[in-house]
Amino acid sequence: MELITNPLSLLIILPAAAALTLLTVPRENSGVLKGFTLGATLLTLLVAIKLYAGFSPAGTAMQFQLSLPWLPSYGISYFLGIDGISLLLIMLTALLMPISVLASFSYIKDAQRGYYVCLLTLESAMIGVFAALDLFVFYLFWEGMLIPMYFLIGVWGGPKRIYAALKFFIYTMAGSVLMLAGILCVVAANHAATGAWTFSIPALCGGALTPEAQFWLFAAFALAFAVKVPLFPFHTWLPDAHVEAPTAGSVLLAGVLLKMGVYGYLRLAVPLFPRGAAAFAPWLAGLGVIGVIYGSLVAWSQRDMKKMVAYSSVAHLGVIILGVMSFEPAAVAGAVLQMVNHGLSTGALFLLVGILYERRHTRLIDDYGGLAKVMPGFAVVFMIVMLSSIGLPGLNGFVGEALILFGSFRVYPWLASAAVLGVILSAVYMLGMYQAVIFGPLRHTENKILPDLNLREWFYLVPLLIFIVLIGVWPNPFLRRVAPAVGSYINLSQPYPAAPAVLPAVERK
Amino acid sequence: MEHLNYAASALSMPLLLVMAAFACLLLPLFIRPLRGAQGLMALGAVLVALTFFRLSPQVEIAIFSGALLINPASSYLWAFALGVLTLVLALSISKPPFPEESGSEYYFLLFMSVLGLMVLVAAGDLFTAFIALELLSLPLYALAGIRRTKPGLEAAYKYFMLGALGSAFTVMGIAVLNSLYPALTFTALKAGAPGPLALAGFLLVISGFAFKTALVPFHMWVPDAYEGAPTPVSAFMGAAVKAGGVVVLWRLFSLFDGGPVREIFWWLAVITAVLANLAALGQTGLKRLLAYSSVAHAGNLAVAFFGGRRGFEAVLYYLPVYAMATIGAFSVALALEKDEKGPLIEDLAGLAKTRPWLAAAMAAFMFSLAGVPPLAGFFAKFYAFAGAVSAGYTGLVVIAVIMSAVSAYYYLKVTVVMFMKPPAGDQPSEPLGLIGIVIALMAAGVLLAGVFSRPLLSIAANASHWF
Repeated sequence: MELITNPLSLLIILPAAAALTLLTVPRENSGVLKGFTLGATLLTLLVAIKLYAGFSPAGTAMQFQLSLPWLPSYGISYFLGIDGISLLLIMLTALLMPISVLASFSYIKDAQRGYYVCLLTLESAMIGVFAALDLFVFYLFWEGMLIPMYFLIGVWGGPKRIYAALKFFIYTMAGSVLMLAGILCVVAANHAATGAWTFSIPALCGGALTPEAQFWLFAAFALAFAVKVPLFPFHTWLPDAHVEAPTAGSVLLAGVLLKMGVYGYLRLAVPLFPRGAAAFAPWLAGLGVIGVIYGSLVAWSQRDMKKMVAYSSVAHLGVIILGVMSFEPAAVAGAVLQMVNHGLSTGALFLLVGILYERRHTRLIDDYGGLAKVMPGFAVVFMIVMLSSIGLPGLNGFVGEALILFGSFRVYPWLASAAVLGVILSAVYMLGMYQAVIFGPLRHTENKILPDLNLREWFYLVPLLIFIVLIGVWPNPFLRRVAPAVGSYINLSQPYPAAPAVLPAVERK
Repeated sequence: MEHLNYAASALSMPLLLVMAAFACLLLPLFIRPLRGAQGLMALGAVLVALTFFRLSPQVEIAIFSGALLINPASSYLWAFALGVLTLVLALSISKPPFPEESGSEYYFLLFMSVLGLMVLVAAGDLFTAFIALELLSLPLYALAGIRRTKPGLEAAYKYFMLGALGSAFTVMGIAVLNSLYPALTFTALKAGAPGPLALAGFLLVISGFAFKTALVPFHMWVPDAYEGAPTPVSAFMGAAVKAGGVVVLWRLFSLFDGGPVREIFWWLAVITAVLANLAALGQTGLKRLLAYSSVAHAGNLAVAFFGGRRGFEAVLYYLPVYAMATIGAFSVALALEKDEKGPLIEDLAGLAKTRPWLAAAMAAFMFSLAGVPPLAGFFAKFYAFAGAVSAGYTGLVVIAVIMSAVSAYYYLKVTVVMFMKPPAGDQPSEPLGLIGIVIALMAAGVLLAGVFSRPLLSIAANASHWF
């Protein structure tokens, strides 16, 4: 019963149950398929809003905890709970899902049932990753998420979809299997020390692992997350997957899946192995900054808008990792907020590129120009989103990036300065792209008849715009909810804690 | 008394098999209407035999002066063997894999082979194990070539030659060990650290059983045998024969606490994991792919050994989970096969368009074999590796998980062809009948046995204490 009454568990089960129900709908019945999926994702969003409303912002403990024994002989339980970080990411997921569904209505024409089943199972798995407090459950959702995403890219993607889907799957799996071995090691070490089998993340934090073990285990976990983030040089799957995936796939990849990598550092890698983290943090931050500059430079040289947005993701995530690895309250809070921001603005960018692609079947910047004349509404939305992405003050991107850069400057002054350069570069290529696509003369006759945004498109873009502006002018409600979680992350990241085994995260009823 | 009753009802299962085997072989000679209906007779007999299945009491009953040990572990494996047999019978009935006049022999040989498996997993001493191994293998050589066509005969010859070599190793090793341990029971073999002669004997015996389990470098027969044999027989080889070999290998493995035998096992596991997965990458035939996959999974089972008792519990869970996925995959191959070598991977092109449910089931088998959650194969691998890590064999597990990521590629290749390529050529589209039921059951199994692994796991845990 608690499986459904606990809102977190409900959030995981609801989309999965909807996916199963969808399988009973006849395949030809496209209207019902779409309507049902949209309804299910909206219902999930409603549950998520209730979750947000019930979340007590100042609470330092994990909230909405649920712990049901699952495989007791291995100490595995279905253990869920969230803090402010997971809350925001779950909200982001729940918000992006109905948007992705709406954006797929006209884009996806074949095998619609399979498509919507994949989207719904994906939602289940994504929320599961953010809600899991048991290592096994976490890994289950983390890997399980690969199957629907693999099909989304491989079946409904662009011309090179098979290559992209395989690359996505194999890269992620290759990164994750070492984490699986790592998980087994942590649990075995804990068993050797305490005599109890447990996979509970809070219980395993602050365990007495030797510094050497921490070094290797952190490396194993960090690799899995670095592939997902993706950090330079593990990013090469990303441009392929993003470009080939259908619009909704790109939105969810950029909006949510990449965040899982960062979330992995925040929830697992650093709290479990603080000494390992201390050894690796400067290097990871360095890789993040290389990613910022490299991603921006490569994005600058792209002629394809979707590729440009994909590489800009590498750059944005680089900044976020810099924040996470600085262990500085402002920077970490900024990084968490920036994860949400990136989900909103990059998600919106992919949607906008998708809107153009549906109309003209090309994504090359050169094929456009002067769209402001035929698509004024599009031009305005695109401008707001683009400005949010480059971090214009007053919009959401600025708050996150500024917090990260100010915060991390205290820890890594050189790296933060270099990251600023990347942020400036992002303004250069984004503005350049915007100008080439929206302004200037209407050079191509095909573009003269392009219709402006229709009602459905407005409908899914407006919520994103609202949050882009809202977080920009009034980030406090979000930051306030994140602050206790950030505090406990920083506490746990101290390699040699002053007080023995700080565990603010556990509070059993 | 109660135990005696139990032993009687347990023993009636193999006895029924013997009777059914001879009934299938002989009755059709005299009763003409029974010709062609041997499959149904066989299926009926197995279903009757399954009604004799009782949950074993927590005791070990030694019969035939210790040659057979009936305990929870053997009853678990007997149930497993009969389950596999039922499925293979269902496959054989819906698409008879033998020439019309060979029906009687086919079912007779299949039953004898299962009987051999049942004796093998309950064997109390090495000599019984050897006889059971022969009883298991000899019918299989004939079954592999029962169609008397070139690929089948080639498979049978190759299987027989290499199998005979393996048997020769085993019998040689047993002879050596017999000179040192006259009793040859597994309990007697545990006496102290072995000298060089005993060690040689053990290694010979181990390599003999490694043939059956298909550990590299004793796997050369596997791809040809699986490819050339009729598909239901290949499914049987993959699911059941391996189980017999693994159980005996575990008994031999658990005689030692360390030393060279463990080292040999370590190397066998590593070489198997690495080579089988690499070799599988290049396969184009579906049955050959499944053959290499079977070798690779034998490697995972060998890794699980290092977890000790907990590892063997994982092995006992792993066997049925692997069997479900592999029988399911072979059933799909059977449903789509146009010639006896079975379909090529590319023959599955566009299956998602033409037969979406079949494609979905096949994808579930592939993801389960690859060990992707939430399918049962992931749980099996997880348990198998968890034991080995907690026993300190982290390096071994790291190699195994990396190779498991490699294996994802060839399993994915099958899903790529089914879901992401357009349909090519015409595929057989006759209704599936019993094959469809087998596939549906197996798909449900790999989908549910992982997430709800508690019941199966607890039975396996209980059984694992008895070896």
